[in-house]
Amino acid sequence: MKLYDSFRSALQSLVVNKLRSALTMLGVIIGVAAVIAMVSVGNGASASVQATILNLGSNLVTVQPQFGNDQGLKGAGAQAQNLTLDDMRSIQNQLGDGIAAAEAEQGTGRWQVTAAGQNWNTQVTGVTEDYPIVRDWKLDSGEFFTTSDLNVNAQVAILGTTTAQNLFGDADAVGQTIQLRQVFGGDRGGGRARILNFRVVGVLTTKGSTFGFSRDDQIVVPLTTAQHVLTGRLNIVNSIVIKATSSDTMDATTSDVNNILLQRHNISDPASADFTVTNQNDTLAALSSVTGTFTLLLGAIGGISLLVGGIGIMNIMLVSVNERTREIGIRKAVGARRGDILTQFLIEAVALTGLGGVLGILLGWAITEVVHRIPQAASLPLLITSGTVIIAVGVSVAIGVVFGLYPAMRAARLHPIEALRYE
Amino acid sequence: MNQSVVQLRGITKTYHIGRDITVNALRAVDLDVGAGEFVAIMGPSGSGKSTLMNVLGCLDVADGGTYLLAGENVGKLSDDKLAGIRNKHVGFVFQTYNLLSRLNAIENVELPLIYGGDRHARRQRALAALEQVGLGDRIHHRPSELSGGQQQRVAIARALLNDPSMILADEPTGNLDSRSSAEILAIFQRLNEAGKTVVMVTHEPDVAAHCKRIVRMRDGLVARDELVPHPRRAEDEIAAGIGAAE
Ligand SMILES: Nc1ncnc2c1ncn2[C@@H]1O[C@H](COP(=O)(O)OP(=O)(O)OP(=O)(O)O)[C@@H](O)[C@H]1O
Ligand SMILES: [Mg+2]
Repeated sequence: MKLYDSFRSALQSLVVNKLRSALTMLGVIIGVAAVIAMVSVGNGASASVQATILNLGSNLVTVQPQFGNDQGLKGAGAQAQNLTLDDMRSIQNQLGDGIAAAEAEQGTGRWQVTAAGQNWNTQVTGVTEDYPIVRDWKLDSGEFFTTSDLNVNAQVAILGTTTAQNLFGDADAVGQTIQLRQVFGGDRGGGRARILNFRVVGVLTTKGSTFGFSRDDQIVVPLTTAQHVLTGRLNIVNSIVIKATSSDTMDATTSDVNNILLQRHNISDPASADFTVTNQNDTLAALSSVTGTFTLLLGAIGGISLLVGGIGIMNIMLVSVNERTREIGIRKAVGARRGDILTQFLIEAVALTGLGGVLGILLGWAITEVVHRIPQAASLPLLITSGTVIIAVGVSVAIGVVFGLYPAMRAARLHPIEALRYE
Repeated sequence: MNQSVVQLRGITKTYHIGRDITVNALRAVDLDVGAGEFVAIMGPSGSGKSTLMNVLGCLDVADGGTYLLAGENVGKLSDDKLAGIRNKHVGFVFQTYNLLSRLNAIENVELPLIYGGDRHARRQRALAALEQVGLGDRIHHRPSELSGGQQQRVAIARALLNDPSMILADEPTGNLDSRSSAEILAIFQRLNEAGKTVVMVTHEPDVAAHCKRIVRMRDGLVARDELVPHPRRAEDEIAAGIGAAE
C-alpha cells in the first residue's frame, strides 16, 4: 500500500470524526504547549540569572574574609587577620600583567544625601581606582578618581545615574557638591550631626538591577576616604575583586591569589585560611545547574500533561479500532496485509499527535508572548529555542507511534472473517 | 471442464465453542472447479456452505486436507501471502455487500488496487468495472444513497477489479428482490460467458437454476453434485419483465 493512500484514508477518518479528533488532539496540544511554555520560562530564568551574574563584571575572582563559627575570625592558633588594601596592592604587584585589574571595596552603609535642595538616601561604597575596569562599568560623564585621590583621602564622589537624576535632575552633576549625613547613629557624637561635603567628579552609565536591587542608585568614593572619613574602620576591606585576563586564566588566577594571601597572612594550612576565594565560573556553573534542574522540573510538568495526552490518543484509537472492526475486515478481505492496516492506524495516531504538536507549539509560543506582556515577567527573557521545538514535535510524533502502536497492532491482527462478522 | 481452478481434497474445518463443544463445519470435502464453470452451492442452513466459501476465498484456512488454487497449495501460506491471493486471485461478493460507508462507489471499487496492482490506471479501471455492472452514472454515490441491488453491483465491480481467476459469492441475492436478483444473475452469467469462473451459494432453487452445475452440501460434506442441463438465462427473463425467482 502506498503511503499516500495511507495518509488519505487516515485523514478521511479524522475528518469524519472532527469533534472527536479535535478533542483528542487537545490533550497533545496542551501537553506540547505546556512543555514549550514551561521550558521557555526555565530557559529564560537561567539566561536572566546568567546575565545578572555577568552584569557584575566578567572573569571575576572575589576574595572575602572567612568568618569562623564563633563570630571571631577563623585560623586555629594563628592570629586571624582582616583583608586589607595592602593585600590588594600586593596582588596587583605580584601578578602584574597576569591579571586585567584588581580593586578593593568597603561598604559604608546608607547615607542621607543633599544637593541643590534635593534630599536622597542611598548606599555609599569605598572602592579603588580600577573599579570601572573590574566591573566593566564606564562613566557617562566626568572622570573616575585616581590613586592620588586615594592617597589624600579626597572627598570626591562618583554617582549612579539614578542618584544623579534624583539629586540634580537633568542638570550636569559633575563639579557639583553634595552633603552626606549618616542615617543611623549619625548623631552619636553628642547630638551633633556630621555633615560631609563631597565633590562630584563623575556619573556612571546605567547598569540596571541585580536580583531586584538597582545598581544605578549608589555613590562610590575612594576607599581610603571611606575608611578614614566615613566609617573609621581603617585597616579593613570587605572584598577584593580581581579581574582575570580571560575566562581560561581564571583558575590559575584563583590559585595565585590564594597563594599570595596565604603567604601574607602566614597560614600554612589552606584549610584554616581566614579568607575565601570565589571564582565566578564556579558561581555560574553552580547557578546553571540549579536553573537547569528548575528547567527540567518545569519540562517534566509539561511532560506529564503530554503523557496524559498520549494516553488519550491510545484510548481514542482503541475505540476507533473497535468501531471500525468491519471496515478492517473489508479491507483485509480485498487484500490488505497486516502491515497495511498497521500503517493506516499508526498514521492516524501520528497525524493526530503531529498536528497536535504543531498547534501546541503555536499555543506555547502564544503563551510565552502573553507572559512576556505581564510587567513582572517582562525582564525575564523567554526563550523558545529550536531545540525545544524539535524535541516537542519529535516527542509528540513519538507519542503517536508509542500510544498508537498497540491499537494498530490489535487492528492488524484481526481475523478477516471474525472482523466481518463483528456487529 | 478443462484445467482446475480449485482442487479440494479432504478439507476439514472444526470450530470450538467454549471448552467442550466442537462443531465440524466441514468434515471431508472433495471438490474440483474447472476454469469457466458456474457453480451453485446449495444445502440446508448450517451445512457448511459459508465455511467452504471462506476457505475457497482464503479468508479462512482449513484445519486439514489440501487446497490447490490454480495449482498452488494455499494451506500453508502466511497471512500476508493469503492477503495477496485475496487481492489478486479471488473476488468475493457478500450477502451484506460489505462496502465502506464513508467512501463513494468508485472509491469502494478502487479499494483492491490500493493494496496491490498498479495504481496508475486506477480511476479508469474502477470506472470500467462500474460501467460493466451498469453503474457508470452512479460513481459518486455513497452506499447509503444506493439501492440494495446497486450496492451489490458496486461490490461485484470491486470483486472484478484485479481481474481475479474466480468470483466467489455467498448468497449474493439473499437480500434482494427478484428484479435486482435477476440483474445480479445476468451480470454473473455475462462474466461467466466471458470466461470467468463463478461459485455462488444460494438457498433458492430458482437462482441455482441459472448455474451450470449444482453442488449440494449436508452436514459438512458434499452430498450431491450435478450438472444443470439447460441453465435459465436471466437476461431473457428481465427482457420478458419477470424476476428470476418468480
Ligand atoms: N465462527 C464460528 N464459530 C463457531 N461455529 C461456527 C462459526 N462459523 C460457523 N460455525 C458453525 O459451523 C457450521 C456451518 O456454518 P456455515 O456458516 O458454514 O453454515 P451455512 O451453510 O453457511 O449456513 P447458512 O445457510 O445459514 O448461511 C454451523 O453449525 C455454524 O454454527
Ligand atoms: Mg452461510
